[in-house]
Amino acid sequence: MDILSPQLLYFLETILFATVLSMHLVKKNFVIISLYSLQSFIISILLFSATLREASLLLLGVAVATFFIKVIVAPYFFFRLIKKIRLHFLVSTYLNGPLILIVLALLTTFSHSQYFKPLTILAPGNENALLLTVGMIFISVFLIINRKGALSQMVGVLSLENAIVSFAFLAGLEQAPGPQLGIIFEIALWVVIATVFASMIYQQFGSLNVAAMVELKED
Amino acid sequence: MLITLILITPFVASLLSLFVQKKTGMLHFLAIAASVMELMVGVVIAAEVMRNGSYSLDGLFVVDALGAILVLTLVIVGAMVSWYSTGYLKAEAAKEIIGFHRVRQYFVLLHLFLLAMFFAIMTISPLFMWIAIEATTLSTAFLISFYHKPSALEAAWKYLIINSVGLLLGFLGTLLFLYPAIQAGFRGLSTWQGLLDQAESFDPAIAKIAFIFVMVGYGTKVGLVPMHTWLPDAHSKAPAPISGLLSGMLLNVAFLAILRFKQLADAAVGIYFSQSILIFFGITSIVVAAFFIFGQKNYKRLLAYSSIEHMGIISLGFGFGGTAAFAGLLHMIYHSFAKSLLFLSAGNILLTFSSTKIKKVKGVLSVLPVTAILFMIGFLVITGVPPFGIFITEFSIISVGIQTYPIVTIITLFALTLAFAGFLRHVVGMIFGDSQRRVVKEKAVSIVPIAVLAFILIVSSVFIPQAISTLITAATSAH
Repeated sequence: MDILSPQLLYFLETILFATVLSMHLVKKNFVIISLYSLQSFIISILLFSATLREASLLLLGVAVATFFIKVIVAPYFFFRLIKKIRLHFLVSTYLNGPLILIVLALLTTFSHSQYFKPLTILAPGNENALLLTVGMIFISVFLIINRKGALSQMVGVLSLENAIVSFAFLAGLEQAPGPQLGIIFEIALWVVIATVFASMIYQQFGSLNVAAMVELKED
Repeated sequence: MLITLILITPFVASLLSLFVQKKTGMLHFLAIAASVMELMVGVVIAAEVMRNGSYSLDGLFVVDALGAILVLTLVIVGAMVSWYSTGYLKAEAAKEIIGFHRVRQYFVLLHLFLLAMFFAIMTISPLFMWIAIEATTLSTAFLISFYHKPSALEAAWKYLIINSVGLLLGFLGTLLFLYPAIQAGFRGLSTWQGLLDQAESFDPAIAKIAFIFVMVGYGTKVGLVPMHTWLPDAHSKAPAPISGLLSGMLLNVAFLAILRFKQLADAAVGIYFSQSILIFFGITSIVVAAFFIFGQKNYKRLLAYSSIEHMGIISLGFGFGGTAAFAGLLHMIYHSFAKSLLFLSAGNILLTFSSTKIKKVKGVLSVLPVTAILFMIGFLVITGVPPFGIFITEFSIISVGIQTYPIVTIITLFALTLAFAGFLRHVVGMIFGDSQRRVVKEKAVSIVPIAVLAFILIVSSVFIPQAISTLITAATSAH
C-alpha cells in the first residue's frame, strides 16, 4: 500500500528543501534545531510509508528508530547544549546575506543542470523531487562550510544525512533493515560524540565559534 | 572461525580494558595479548588465502587477495603499535602528562579502532564497509583530542566534521552503486560480488556520478588533495602511536574502498574514467604535499604531508594501471611499515625533546642514537632512496607513466625531488648537530617495535616471498 502519491511526495520534498534553505537564513539556534526536527519528522514519514508499502516489521523498527533518534534524541541533545551554554543566537557566517542567497540560487541551478539529469531515471515520476534532494545535499554542505558555529555545522551534517536518506527513498535505493539500523546507530553515536566535542570546544574556547579556533595556525 | 576470532579479539580486549581498575599493567597485558592473537590469526588467514584464493565466514565476511594483504599489514603494524604504546603511555604517565583514566581510554579506543578496520576490510557488504569506516572516525576522534589541548581539540573537530561530510558523500556514491542490483530485483544485503555481477548493466552516466561521489567521499578519508585539510592536523595532534596507525593503516583501509568501487566503475564504464580521476587526485596530492613538505616547521606534520604524498603516488599507480597498479599496492605496503616506523620514532623524539618543532630538535643522533638510526632508515625508505622498496615501486610507476602520461610523470618527478630535498633538509637538521641534552637510555619497548618494522622494510626491499608476490598479482589483476 503506497500512501504517498507523487504530488504528496513532491510536497514533502519541497518542505524538506525549504527547511534546509531556511537554515541558512535563521538567526536563532532554537529555530535551526526546530527546522532539523521538522526535516527529520518528514524523513520518518517517508520511512513509515516504506514500511506500509513493504509490509515489513523490520522496516517499522527502522522507521521508529529513525523517529526516536532524529526527532527526539538529537534535538534533545542540541537543546540541552544551548541551554547549558546559554547560546541562543547563531554565530556569524563567512558570507553575507545577499551572497548567501546568490550561492543558494547557484547551487539549486547546479543541482538541476545537465550533470545531474541522468539521475532522474532512478525515480520515474518523481524527477523534480529527486533533483530537489540533490539540491538539498549541496545546500547542506554549504551550510557546514559557511557557518562559523559548531552547532550549525553539526546540524548541517545531519541535514546532509537526511538529504541522502530522502534521495535514497525517492530513487528506491533503500537497503535491507540490518544496514539501515547500523547507520541509525552510528548517527546516534555521532550526535553524542559531536555534542561532547561541542561542550569541550565551549570549555576551551569560551565560544562555539569555530573561527575562534586558531591554535593550529601557530604550527 | 578465524575471522570470528580476529573480530572478537579486539572487541573483548576493548571490553575488558573498560573494566580494568587502576592496574595499568593489566591494560598493557591485554593490548599485547590481543595484538599477538590478532597477529597469529591474521597470518593464518593470509596463508589460507594464499592456498585457496579466498577465505570466508558464512557469506558475511570474505578475505580475498587484496583483503589478505591489508589484514597482514594491519596485524603487523597493529601489533607493533600496541606494543610500543605500552612504553609510550608509561613514559607519558611518568611525566604526569596523562593519568590512569586516559591510559584506559586510549586502550579501549585503540582496540575498537582496530576492530573497525578489520571489519571494514573483511565485510562482504559495501554498506557495512561504510559503517565500519565511519566507526573508525568515531573511535579515533577522542584519540586525536587525547591531550585535551586546544589545538588537539581543534584538530579533532576538523577531523570529525570533514570526515563525516566526506563519508556521507561516499555513502551517496555507495547507494548509487547499488542501483543495478536493486533494478535487477535484488532486495537483500548487497555484496561486492553481487554488485560486480550486475555492474555491466549499470547506466554509465550514473556510474560516473557515483564514482565521483565515492572518490570525493572516501578520498577525504584517504587524505587526497583537496579534501586533505584535516589530515596534517589530526595526524600531528594524536599520540604518536595513533598517528602511526592512522597514517600507516587507516588510509589504506579507506583506499581499499576506492579500489573496490573502481572495479565496479570499470565494469560499467571502462577503465579510463576511473583511471583519469585517480591520476588527477594523485598528481594534485603529490604536488601540493611536496611544497608543504619543503616548507614544513613541524616534524609530525612533515610526516603527515608525506602520507598525503604517498597516497597520491598510490593513486597514480592505480591510475596508470597494469604494472603500475602492482607497484602501487606494493608501495602501499612499504608505506604502511615506513610511516609507522617514522611516527613511532617521532614519538621517542617527542618524549625526549618535548617539542614537535623541527628547529627545537637538534642532535637526535647524540641524544637518542638508536632512534636516530631507525628514523634515518625510515627517512631513506620513505623518500625512495635505492635500494629500498619504495625506490623500486616509484621507479616502476614512473616507468609506466612516462610512456602513457609523460607530462603527469615529469611533474611527479619534479614534485618527488622537491619532497626529497625538503625531507632531507629537515631530517639532517634534526638528526645531526649539537645538543645540550645528555644521552638518553633507550628502553627496549620503545625501540624493538620500531626495529622490527625497519627489519621488515630492509628484508622486503631485497626479497619478496613468492606467496606475497602472487597475492599482490591476484589483488591487482583487475586494476
